[in-house]
Amino acid sequence: MPTYLRSRSFVALALLPAMLIFIVFAIVPIIWSAYYGFFDWSGLGSLKFIGLDNYEMMLQDPIFWRALKNNLILVASAIIGQVPIALLLALLLLKNSMFNRVIRSAVFMPMVLSTVVVGLIWGYIYQPQIGLLNTVLEMLGLDSWIRAWLSDPKVNMYAVSIPINWANIGPYLVIFIAALQNISSEVNDAAKIDGAVGFRKLFYVTLPNIWDTVIVTIILCISGSLKAFDHVIVMTGGGPAQSTELLATYMYNNSFTVYRYGYGSAVSTMIILISALLIGLNYIITKRRG
Amino acid sequence: MKKRLTLVITLIALISLLTAACSSGNQTNESHEGGSNEKVKLTIWHNFAGDDLRAKAVRGLIDEYKKANPNVELDAQAIPVDGYRQRLSTVAAGNEMPDVFFVYAGSQSQEFYDAGLLQPITPLAEEYPEWKGNFMDGAFDRFEFEEGQIYSAPIGLSATSFLYYNKDLFEKHGVKVPTTWTELMAAVKTFNDNGITPIALGNKAPWVAQSTILGSLADRVTGTDWFLKAVKGEASFTDPVFVDALGKFKELVDNKAFQEGANSIDNTQAEQYFIQGNAAMMVSGAWTLTNLAASATPEQVAPIEVTTMPAIEGGAGEAGTISGGAGGGFALSKKTEGAAKDAALDLIYSISGPDGQKAIAESNSMVMYKMDLASSNVSPLYLKAFNVAMEAGITPVYDAYLSAEAGESINNGLQEIMMGGKPEDVAKKLQDAQARSTQK
Repeated sequence: MPTYLRSRSFVALALLPAMLIFIVFAIVPIIWSAYYGFFDWSGLGSLKFIGLDNYEMMLQDPIFWRALKNNLILVASAIIGQVPIALLLALLLLKNSMFNRVIRSAVFMPMVLSTVVVGLIWGYIYQPQIGLLNTVLEMLGLDSWIRAWLSDPKVNMYAVSIPINWANIGPYLVIFIAALQNISSEVNDAAKIDGAVGFRKLFYVTLPNIWDTVIVTIILCISGSLKAFDHVIVMTGGGPAQSTELLATYMYNNSFTVYRYGYGSAVSTMIILISALLIGLNYIITKRRG
Repeated sequence: MKKRLTLVITLIALISLLTAACSSGNQTNESHEGGSNEKVKLTIWHNFAGDDLRAKAVRGLIDEYKKANPNVELDAQAIPVDGYRQRLSTVAAGNEMPDVFFVYAGSQSQEFYDAGLLQPITPLAEEYPEWKGNFMDGAFDRFEFEEGQIYSAPIGLSATSFLYYNKDLFEKHGVKVPTTWTELMAAVKTFNDNGITPIALGNKAPWVAQSTILGSLADRVTGTDWFLKAVKGEASFTDPVFVDALGKFKELVDNKAFQEGANSIDNTQAEQYFIQGNAAMMVSGAWTLTNLAASATPEQVAPIEVTTMPAIEGGAGEAGTISGGAGGGFALSKKTEGAAKDAALDLIYSISGPDGQKAIAESNSMVMYKMDLASSNVSPLYLKAFNVAMEAGITPVYDAYLSAEAGESINNGLQEIMMGGKPEDVAKKLQDAQARSTQK
């Protein structure tokens, strides 16, 4: 390989187009949005500078806190649900047999489906009168468990989080399989000779070897859950009465349904701050353990 | 090097193509040269560009006018609904309105009037008084910017609150079709006792309960005048009368008038639930006619009847009304004068006049013009609804008058009541939201 290909300037040059696109379409809008967050603005017409009033209003709005709580439920369900299940499936489906490949595609399938389709499918599963779930419960004689899954505020947030987890396991499975295949066979052989099998092997050999991957997946889970939007919009629209409102749907409704564009911008800036905070927290915790 | 040159040339070609495409969209209309000579040039803009029956009917009317008036050189532009509002605002800003154009009732036509872009079509009303008299009450309310002057005639009605009911279920269980609140509650009880959902409701998109039920329910309790005052801030939504109105809605909820989980299914699913005979009633707008016509079998539709929401004893509002709004109509540009103006008025009359209204009504869509459709080839269910609407007074739809934020607040508030919330709290939130937006 010629040396100039390895030089820093070439790397910089090669990255430049992608960086430019990223800056123009991601970084600049974030800065603009943060800027609009200081204004009372309907999206049209004149901007009125109001300093931090939007943030003050946000912190006083109980719906904002409910949205944040719902997002944290999603984050928790993603970390408790998606990561361990994906890891378990990856361990089970590691070998490249025909059967395993079929199952892997099946697990990945919902990821390929449009989120609208996923939302509609689960909307029908949860449908209160003719839905699959309630019908099955009725057949099993569990009539007392039957409820309106998506409109009962006691359960609907959990009901909503299941399809989101279901749809998102696929990529983590792929990431984990790749990481597991990267563990060199010497390590595995050595573990076998030393008699490490089962859980012992998992905790002392496998997990430490893929720990970096686990951290990355947790970060992906956090950021993915904080910007969750599409499944919820399709299944409940953030309702009923904003009981499944997430930060993103809260931001969307404020900006585009009631035309408080400045306020919506402030909310989106807040989402970035919360996201950064959680990821930072995760970094500190996992680093200590690693 | 050569490659780069080709690239540059391609880019230039592309850009020039784009600019050409843009500029061709901005043709100005030179249409006022008529007057002395015979030939008159007219432009008309409308948004009936789609493939639905109504759009075809309106385009058909324009074509007929073209044929009947060979001396008029008519340039008709059908602009898709999505972009129509904006296209019109753009030419309005440049004071280059087409001679005749479709305007929505409400804020859009008000803005054009305020900007001095419209002239009244009152001459038509003077020429054809019988035509004007045939409109439903209140049809011209939103086009009468000055006393005695009308600026457009509505060619549509968006009715949001018919009470659809399944005749067979009522007969089978010996229930009287409710004409009063007491009768409605009795019907709710009987149907519940027999394991039938009294009223199908799909309130996942939260405007449904507000637009179909609350509008006419609250109007019966508060009266229309109170609501219009409350919108302007001269009365408060925390007034006991409105809390009572919300209380009526809560009464429906508490008596299990709606099926379980109504907040998580959408309007179309509720329609299906109703048409399959699982529910005895459904309160919904004229759109349900279209949906049922498209998806239900004739046997399913046969037992469905249409009426208005029952009266509420002791309420301040009138009974027998439906909530709804005047649809848009065709308006006349201020700049159109002389022979062109006469031709333009003729054109408006040929779309909005008796024949035009009939053609539109026969495309199975509601109009505000009274007529006998019995012999026309329209769907039976539509005919029933049309006759109900002809007899009914029209009362305001809440979210057409409230600010966006207040509309959202009452939409969510009704869901909250369905989940056990208190009418007082919902009323307070609505008042706060409306006050916030009227202050600005």
